[in-house]
Amino acid sequence: MKKFKISNLKFKIIVGYLYGDLMNIYGDTGNIIALKKRAEWRGIEVKIINISVGDKLKKEEADIFFFGGGQDQAQELVSADLIKSSKGKVIKKEIERGVPLLSICGGYQLLGDYYKPHKGPKLPGINLFPAYTLASHDRMIGNIVIESMFGQLVGFENHSGKTHLKKGATALGMVRKGWGNNGKDRTEGCIYKNAVGCYMHGSLLPKNPKLADWLLQKALEVKYGKEIKLEPLDDTLELKAHALAIKKFG
Amino acid sequence: MRLIAAILLGKTVAFLTKLLKIGGGSAAPGLYALSIEPNLVKKLALKIPRNIVITGTNGKTTTARMLAHFAKESGLKVIRNHTGSNLERGIASALIHKSSIINHQSFDLGIWELDEAAFNSVAPKLNPDIVVFLNIFRDQLDRYGEINTVLKNWQETLKKLPSDTKVLVNGDDVNILKLSSAFKGKVQKFGVKDFKIIGESIFHKKEQENLDFEAKNVKLNGLNGSSFVLRTTNYELRTILPLPGIYHIYDTLAAFACAHNLGLPINQFTNSLTHYTPAFGRVEKLDLPRLASGKAGLGYIFLIKNPAGATQVFETIAPNLKPNDTLLLALNDNLADGTDVSWIWDGEFEKLRTTNYELRTICSGSRAHDLAIRLKYAEFDPKRITIEPDLQKAFKEARRSQKGRLFILPTYTAMLELQSILTKSGVKKHYWKEI
Repeated sequence: MKKFKISNLKFKIIVGYLYGDLMNIYGDTGNIIALKKRAEWRGIEVKIINISVGDKLKKEEADIFFFGGGQDQAQELVSADLIKSSKGKVIKKEIERGVPLLSICGGYQLLGDYYKPHKGPKLPGINLFPAYTLASHDRMIGNIVIESMFGQLVGFENHSGKTHLKKGATALGMVRKGWGNNGKDRTEGCIYKNAVGCYMHGSLLPKNPKLADWLLQKALEVKYGKEIKLEPLDDTLELKAHALAIKKFG
Repeated sequence: MRLIAAILLGKTVAFLTKLLKIGGGSAAPGLYALSIEPNLVKKLALKIPRNIVITGTNGKTTTARMLAHFAKESGLKVIRNHTGSNLERGIASALIHKSSIINHQSFDLGIWELDEAAFNSVAPKLNPDIVVFLNIFRDQLDRYGEINTVLKNWQETLKKLPSDTKVLVNGDDVNILKLSSAFKGKVQKFGVKDFKIIGESIFHKKEQENLDFEAKNVKLNGLNGSSFVLRTTNYELRTILPLPGIYHIYDTLAAFACAHNLGLPINQFTNSLTHYTPAFGRVEKLDLPRLASGKAGLGYIFLIKNPAGATQVFETIAPNLKPNDTLLLALNDNLADGTDVSWIWDGEFEKLRTTNYELRTICSGSRAHDLAIRLKYAEFDPKRITIEPDLQKAFKEARRSQKGRLFILPTYTAMLELQSILTKSGVKKHYWKEI
């Protein structure tokens, strides 16, 4: 497993963990672990930086972003900071030049137009995904399986916010089992350029290695300006768990 | 009249579940009885002179058991909810089980463990003399909600308690400390010198809280436990705890603080601990039947159920592992375990990994494969991991070639399953027969 090619040795990826101290609610760290290990097993060096409240974000500071879910209070704080620190603007520009991003649950919601809680004003998002989210009284909870451009993805969702995609938005996939964005239109998540947002915990990446590798590949391609083909890993275990989840929950 | 009918129904259900062997009778009797008499808990609890309520994410069962053990040795008649059944129905079941219709059997003390959510609805009904808050960690979001929500609800409940209630809080848990301001009366704090719990982890602390009950001069003694000095106002007690890990020192402190508040002879507390036996699966040491080779097998069970608790278990076990030992981990995703297994990614399985040798590791349970992936990403060698979802088979496999000790780390329902497997092989008695 610890094989690596000499040609890969020069590669280095910086993972920008957006608000990792506040937005890490349930197993989100597993996605960071998956990115890190899958890169390291290929001899790619990985550095993880936490980008949080008050921090400035510069262009090219991170090669890939991860944005997890948080408690309601944290979400308010983060929504305000994205705008105040202008990190929101920088993230948008970075996405425009192809930097990959994975956001889940709360993070996904704040990358849309806004999140409207039960009480109080709307929390503004950064308008990256053409989508908006409304608080609801339904808890959408359980195992979820979707069909996507990455094949079937498996995870676990737990949210009461209902996300509605606007015209022109591309869903990450269609729900085969579970609730998805809003429990109604069978869409789940959103994808824009190389940025992915969704409700899938699980953790998502360890059991969906195809998506994990796509994010890594895009990160390297954007950073080094050339087409990258990642060395394959032995994913027997991951694919077995993936297949079992589909069999059991799909 | 309704109360009597409810008790009778509960007793009948208890009898039937035992007769038909469909459970331990720790929840169903209460559930049925409550449907007839919703005020059953309140009415029956009134007959008990003193009640203690214990809540928190981790350590409830150990604290309650330790306190009950000491209270009984001090001559009190104790009633409590057993077997980790810490919802209202569990408490109702215990009360029904111990209730007699004809003459009221008297108890001196009720010790009740309540889970994070049940605390708010049930604690006021028990009219507690003492309330203990052990800690708060992330746990089954699908059941309890976010930590802030749990804390907010606890504060609301605390506000309603009479000011002469004795409230004991973990002074090292920054979240738990926030509860103090919600209570009208005085709050007593317990904690360990030099330690602080922030979020999911225990840190060495810089500044000391003003603690009413403190453990100091802490020495950890591997899997055998620890030794420390219990201190309260004008009193110090050298203590040897036969349970390993810092987290058990907190449970001991809480039990000690309760005992002190109850006016029990606390100079006997340490002595009482020497013959304390742990609750099922809470660091249980097992003498496994002799193997075909004639070697006796030694086993340990450590319940793991949430990131903080699991990480604490890993920290306790890791320094004591030897190359010949075997690990058997079992992850289920039943309702009582949490249907979301994401939490394993927040538990620091990296701490369980040995660096200079590969442990023989078996993953079991309904989500055995998820567990195996977690271990792979913690740099365990996947080739050394055996996956066997069926726990009985996994246990057999672990025993088949056991050389050193067997460490079993199950989630809640996997632990119940394990108990029945062990019973069948003659190792353990049924858990509901425990006193």
